[in-house]
Amino acid sequence: MAAASDFNPFQSPPKGDNMFAQITDNVTRIMEAPKPPRAWYIAMGIALSLLTMFLGSITWAAWNGIGVWGNMMPVAWAFPIVNFVFWIGIGHAGTLISAILFLLRQNWRTAINRFAEAMTIFAVMCAGIFPGVHIGRPWLPYYMMPIPNQMGMWPQYRSPLEWDIFAVSTYATVSILFWYMGMIPDFATFRDRSTSTVKRIAYGIVAMGWRGSSRQWHRYERAYLILAALATPLVLSVHSVVSFDFATAQLPGWHATIFPPYFVAGAIFGGFAMVVTLAVPARQFFGLKRIITIRHLELMAKVMIATGLMVGYAYGMEFFISWYGGSSYEGFTFVNRLFGPYAWAYWTMIACNVIFPQLFWFKNVRTNVWAILLIGMIVNVGMWFERFVIICTSLTRDFLPSSWGYYVPTKFDFMTLGGSFGLFFTLFLLFCRYLPMVAMSEVKAFSPAGGHARPHLHHGHDDAAHAHH
Amino acid sequence: MNKKLRVVSERSESPRATDTAAARPTYWRSLAELDQTPEFRDAVEREFAEPLQGLPPDSPGRRRFMQVMGASFSMAGLAGCRWHEDKILPMTRRPEGVIPGTTSRYATAMELNGIAHGLHATSYDGRPIKIDGNPLHPDSLGAASTYHQGSVLGVYDPDRSDAVSQKNGEGRDVSTFEAFDKAAKEQLKKLRTTRGEGLRVLSERSSSPTLAAMKDRWLAAFPLSKWITFEPLATNGRAAGTALAFGKPHRVHYSFAEAKVILSLDADFVAPSFPSGLANARGLTHGRTPDHEEMNRLYVIESAFSSTGATADHRLALRSEQIKAVAAYLDAEISAKARPLPEQGAGQPKPNAAFLSDAKVQKFLDAVAKDLLANIGKSIVVAGLHQPAEVHALVERLNVLLGNSGRTVFYTEDRADAATSDFEGLKALTDEMAAGRVETLFVLGGNPAYDAPADVGFAAALEKVAFSVRLGLYEDETSQGATWHVPAAHYLESWGDARAYDGTISIVQPLIAPIFGGRSALELLARLLGEEPKGLELVRAQHKGLLGDDRRFRKAVHDGIIEGSAFDRVSPKLTSIPPVKLSERELSGAVSNGGFEVRFVPCPKIYDGRYANNAWLQELPESFSKLSWDNGAFFSVATAKELGITDGDVLTLTLGGKTVDVPCIVAPGSADGSIKLALGYGRTHAGRVGGKVGTDVTPVGGNANLIRTTEAPHFAAGVRVATSGPGKRLANTQDLYAMDQIGLDGIAERLPELVREAPYEEFKKEPHFAKHLVHQPHEMNLWVDPVSYEGHKWGMAIDLNKCIGCSACVTACQAENNIPVVGQENVAMGREMLWLRVDRYYRGNPNEPELRFQPLPCQQCENAPCEQVCPVGATMHSHEGLNDMVYNRCIGTRYCSNNCPYKVRRFNYFNYNLDVIGMTPYTPTEDPKMKLKAMVFNPEVTVRSRGVMEKCTFCVQRIQNAKIPAKNAHRAIEDGEIKTACQETCPTDAIVFGDLNDKKSRVANLQKLERAYQLLGEFNNRPRVQYLARITNPNPELA
Repeated sequence: MAAASDFNPFQSPPKGDNMFAQITDNVTRIMEAPKPPRAWYIAMGIALSLLTMFLGSITWAAWNGIGVWGNMMPVAWAFPIVNFVFWIGIGHAGTLISAILFLLRQNWRTAINRFAEAMTIFAVMCAGIFPGVHIGRPWLPYYMMPIPNQMGMWPQYRSPLEWDIFAVSTYATVSILFWYMGMIPDFATFRDRSTSTVKRIAYGIVAMGWRGSSRQWHRYERAYLILAALATPLVLSVHSVVSFDFATAQLPGWHATIFPPYFVAGAIFGGFAMVVTLAVPARQFFGLKRIITIRHLELMAKVMIATGLMVGYAYGMEFFISWYGGSSYEGFTFVNRLFGPYAWAYWTMIACNVIFPQLFWFKNVRTNVWAILLIGMIVNVGMWFERFVIICTSLTRDFLPSSWGYYVPTKFDFMTLGGSFGLFFTLFLLFCRYLPMVAMSEVKAFSPAGGHARPHLHHGHDDAAHAHH
Repeated sequence: MNKKLRVVSERSESPRATDTAAARPTYWRSLAELDQTPEFRDAVEREFAEPLQGLPPDSPGRRRFMQVMGASFSMAGLAGCRWHEDKILPMTRRPEGVIPGTTSRYATAMELNGIAHGLHATSYDGRPIKIDGNPLHPDSLGAASTYHQGSVLGVYDPDRSDAVSQKNGEGRDVSTFEAFDKAAKEQLKKLRTTRGEGLRVLSERSSSPTLAAMKDRWLAAFPLSKWITFEPLATNGRAAGTALAFGKPHRVHYSFAEAKVILSLDADFVAPSFPSGLANARGLTHGRTPDHEEMNRLYVIESAFSSTGATADHRLALRSEQIKAVAAYLDAEISAKARPLPEQGAGQPKPNAAFLSDAKVQKFLDAVAKDLLANIGKSIVVAGLHQPAEVHALVERLNVLLGNSGRTVFYTEDRADAATSDFEGLKALTDEMAAGRVETLFVLGGNPAYDAPADVGFAAALEKVAFSVRLGLYEDETSQGATWHVPAAHYLESWGDARAYDGTISIVQPLIAPIFGGRSALELLARLLGEEPKGLELVRAQHKGLLGDDRRFRKAVHDGIIEGSAFDRVSPKLTSIPPVKLSERELSGAVSNGGFEVRFVPCPKIYDGRYANNAWLQELPESFSKLSWDNGAFFSVATAKELGITDGDVLTLTLGGKTVDVPCIVAPGSADGSIKLALGYGRTHAGRVGGKVGTDVTPVGGNANLIRTTEAPHFAAGVRVATSGPGKRLANTQDLYAMDQIGLDGIAERLPELVREAPYEEFKKEPHFAKHLVHQPHEMNLWVDPVSYEGHKWGMAIDLNKCIGCSACVTACQAENNIPVVGQENVAMGREMLWLRVDRYYRGNPNEPELRFQPLPCQQCENAPCEQVCPVGATMHSHEGLNDMVYNRCIGTRYCSNNCPYKVRRFNYFNYNLDVIGMTPYTPTEDPKMKLKAMVFNPEVTVRSRGVMEKCTFCVQRIQNAKIPAKNAHRAIEDGEIKTACQETCPTDAIVFGDLNDKKSRVANLQKLERAYQLLGEFNNRPRVQYLARITNPNPELA
């Protein structure tokens, strides 16, 4: 792309031979540049157009009634909920990388954890919009909150949707805290290197007076560890709870005990696919090839093949249980998935999620960035179809054949789906430009100069010292 | 609801019963104004000019001045009307029996094709909102059909004509009643001198004795004029056939409850379009209660599935034209065994028809003949009214020979002219009109410009009539060509009378003054004849003989029937019937494209098109195809395959050079080579629902009249079928036949568990079969039972043996519960709002399928999956076991619908009442016509806006309406006191509602029956509705 031109300030090699300085330069240069590359503007233009379409389509739905979408009876949940689960799934990799891989001492995570976390938060924001706008009376979602009121209303806690409210909002809160806290030392670096007053004040406020003292580092590392420990169960809980929406229902195709682990594995799978989809262009255009190396991408490819196999196992196990369980309704639902009117969706899902990721067994595939990017995008498509298959195909044909139907999305469904990517990418592009895209302090800790493979982060004064470069 | 029947007071101050709406103001301020006295008119015209003039100029005086000023103020009030006028009911003296805010019921009757159906109309504050059957009426027995249920919407149709109009070149000018009366009087004055030369009256079929008397007076006044009756669905086969068999036209009445073996030859005798259809349905299904009594056995030979055919134990699909040979064959068989008397003649020679030698057909007919002969005096043979005279003659001959006459089949004498064809009458009239021999024409109702057969160019001929008057509810196709259009009064707006099929007279009582000032045919004619144009007086005068005094008249109005007014039953003598002539076609077996038969049937929803602008009826799914907002050509599976067509393909049907475009419907069970096509569609001037050319409302469906002919108006041979366009997505509420194999296999696998059934013999051996068909494991609840049901415990039992799939319950539910109409596009998307649906399943071989109906309301589960998943508690369990919907709490997550195994919940994807109620409560609609539409709402049921879920409530408002008076009177609610809307209208009594805690209640006892089962009960939802398994009674010889 045009971004690879010689005039790109982001692309010029970092000066000096100090590894730490190079890292700092590499990351802060993006913020310091007077103008982002033209690719950023093009991408931002597209993202903002999509965002406008998104806002337009949901406003249209809110004004006229959600009948502008293709939802019908029996398929009362369709694209909006598919999109919700899809985005929630995307939002899994970030915290997994941040928290679980941190606790497991997977040090390679440091190169990607920051923007994986950002991705998580933006994905959860995209996801969070859907339950609000998909309801029939989108001006009343607060009825689901336990707010004391004069109407004598109170949420109905037996409903998995109510559990969702708490699971997703907790996840969003902890993810934001975790993300923000990790950025504090980097904000301080930004503050210290800022040349304009506005930036200095802005970064100064968000850096919360970070000076890089030993005491601060000590507290910081403790807090980070605690938050990581808190966030870890959330990685498992949030998608488990989302899966309860389906698992606790009576509908054949939803009513399955395998759903919680299956959804979590699928979410990690899809989340990693999204991370590589974002990481490959980001390292390309923002000159982060030295930080996000091919080794990182290869490791993510390995995670994807592992989780992809788990998902494939779940697909197979669903069929086994539907046969073993002996319910004719359940059995029919799965035969219908394979060969019914929506078989195309099912086979798209299988191809994208089970067949294509197998290419990662070949080393030359998983070390080729463009192959990784392509397969990552394919998996994203596949994971979207997985939710479509579960939600829509199951609903089209349930118990009584008289109520069977065929769901066809409208153009507003596609506008809302496409538009949600606009929101996501708008936020992501703003993040790339204005926030530390790589966790500088953590990367330094594991860089050759920082003395790698240490169990804890020991930055000492290094960081502050290099802030003067 | 107040069950006590009331009679509209015939005093003129009653708000409902204004006879002379045009002449006198409906709402009035003083008696002087009401009576329009000369003094009053004078005062109005003069305003205060004269009193001032009369004042001496030099001596005003304070007192006099005040008098004058006071007078002028009051005069200004009388003369002005310049301020906004709100119409209110003048209830300073409350009319007898009217309590504001409560409902009351009045008996009335509705006439269709010359047969009255007794009804009860529910009135709320002076406006009718609901129609039900009159239990005292012989054709109703408390039941009402979709036509009757839907008719109340027609009162408030904003497209109804609201003014007299006069033709002006190509267009039409709005005129007044006064102008019309003047013009008509002048025209008639001229005609009196010529004794009615060139004067014709074209009326729809009516059984009104008052109108008949009026007709006699009219013909006496204009001896050279002619009175023609035309009804697009009129048949004369039965009258002509009975004339052939008995010498005189007769009507035939049945007692199906007494019959053990019933044979229908192409007769859908339980349909509301069949004379006494609803009473027949009650009788037929009464004999199909296997729990305590013996079952009857029903054989049906028909060309396409009907409600009767769906109920049959044995069914044979033959083309309608083949029925004649079948009747001859059966006569030959039975006459040989039943030994007719010499004067009754010998039987028919056995017809040499190719299809009769088919082993299957022969076996069927022989078994039928044997069964009929084994049940002498306990059988019924009935032929479709569209069948020719010979078939009816043979069928009545069979009834006499089988000893049924006087036991299960009864005869009354029909009009002498009943055997003449309406179609020929209309053709003769049209020829006269085209030849310019008709100078003056009155068209009373009907819509011949639309529904005359294609070879009768009525619309073109109407242009040649110098003075034509059309009395109609709508300014429709016929009105377009008439010089004058006069708005008609709805039957709920006018006094009248009409006879049931057995002759019982009902008084038609108005429920509301004519909203648009329309006139009934009686009033129009009376005015033209110079008689007192008061419907009530005319009717009362007519029945002076039967109901001399006022008390008896009031009782007749109150009851809805005049007791003892039925025709006398007779025992006609059977005469010899000459051998029937059978044409080549009638004897032929298979037919190919170009030679297909088309059968024109009354639409079960919009009849002959008169309800085309009725949105409830347009949206109602047709019983067999489940198609709404359209008609289609029904083909058998084999014929569709042969032609390579499938559901939704747009076809052109060509018959005699005329064509019509309709979509294809693959309808298993149709006879090969026979096409069923419903009449009533393709209206070009119906309104904003049924279609209006020149607006964006395209006509709904294809007009079958375009290929109909006078010679063969009911079924015709020689149709060619060609595919004319790309397939279209049909607005059907249940999958059509064309489903993938996976789906069909899935249905076939689960259907026996959903619609449980067994042959009668097996049921007697193993009565509990339905309960044990599906293993119901010992279940445990995830949640504690919310309530213990100590008071009432409402439940329902639906007898699958009785449901005939007529869908009257669906429309009744729609009327009762303010269910919105969503339109064709939304139905096609699967968003219909009907709370109650009647599921239709085919069973067995697609070439000889059986058909099963299953009405499905909310099952009101005790362990309701919907309640558990609602995050805001908008659907809650009541202490009586109802799943209550709290609309105000609902935010529309639709999770409840996803978790409902029955998918009975309906969601307001849009504000389907936007036109009527406005976008928000703060922006109400101001359009007066839309406000009129709101008048049909049942005020006891919330009108839902967008974004909320809704579903069947077991008519909770009716439950409350019974509970409150019972509590006030310190008594228990009696069983049967509460009837749900669906139950009340059901012709076959298939739905029973009541308190399960009351051990003596009907519903509790029905649910205790061995054949009662829960639908999907194995999922531990504990539904409160139980189905009674269907029991068939097959003939062992045909097994």
